[in-house]
Amino acid sequence: MSSSIGTECTDLKQKYDTCFNKWYSEKFLKGDTTPECEDLFKDYKACVMVALKEKQIDTLLADARKESPFPPPSSSSNSEA
Amino acid sequence: MKLFKSVHTYDYPWSLVSAANWQKYPNEHCSHVYAVDVLDRRVEPDTGVLITERLITVKQNVPTIILKLMGTGYTQYVREISRIDPKSKTLTMDSINLTLSSYMSVAESIEYTEHPSEPGKTQFTQQAAISAGTKLARWASLVEDFSAKRFQQNADIGREGFNQVLQRFVVRAEASAANQASAASS
Repeated sequence: MSSSIGTECTDLKQKYDTCFNKWYSEKFLKGDTTPECEDLFKDYKACVMVALKEKQIDTLLADARKESPFPPPSSSSNSEA
Repeated sequence: MKLFKSVHTYDYPWSLVSAANWQKYPNEHCSHVYAVDVLDRRVEPDTGVLITERLITVKQNVPTIILKLMGTGYTQYVREISRIDPKSKTLTMDSINLTLSSYMSVAESIEYTEHPSEPGKTQFTQQAAISAGTKLARWASLVEDFSAKRFQQNADIGREGFNQVLQRFVVRAEASAANQASAASS
């Protein structure tokens, strides 16, 4: 399994990835889109956000999102507007 | 600007390829990919499409002459947005480098779809636009040529690496199916 940009986040990432990969094959591809790994993702993401800040990638990402937001608006989910 | 396009057919069904795609790294052929992080991910409620934003950290081997020109180490950060529609069996990934874009930008677009006439296979299309940035404008064609060649090499290596990932994935899936079957029968 691949590493995280923050070495201290790799454990959390791998726990999340394991959960996600199982969900993807066993649920998502079979039509069940209810998320299952959100708590693991929250912990992993919190760790990554710190690493991104340290490496000053957070500002680069913020700039990129201005130009090309996430989630992308191209899909039909632009009903918030 | 240089444009690059490559098309390939994988002899595995789309569902397997799309699952293995999440586990593509690390593989021994792509040691330049140092880290892969999921930044955000959600299922669009109205379409059922899974969208994911990832950050890919790349440490590329680059000739010293180019490192000297740039006066920098060569860690690249790439942002990737993917969409997976399980109904139409389509996976698309768009990526662009976040760093060093004043030297060069590489916008890549990848698509995996079920093969139109052979459902057990998957069609892969990779496209990229490579442009030298303002800081290398004087050497644009030199840099773009070099980068296009490197991109081609990485694409070939990446395909080979992914084939191995797929083979391992199939072996693991069969082993786990066999385990489940024997557990069920015992």
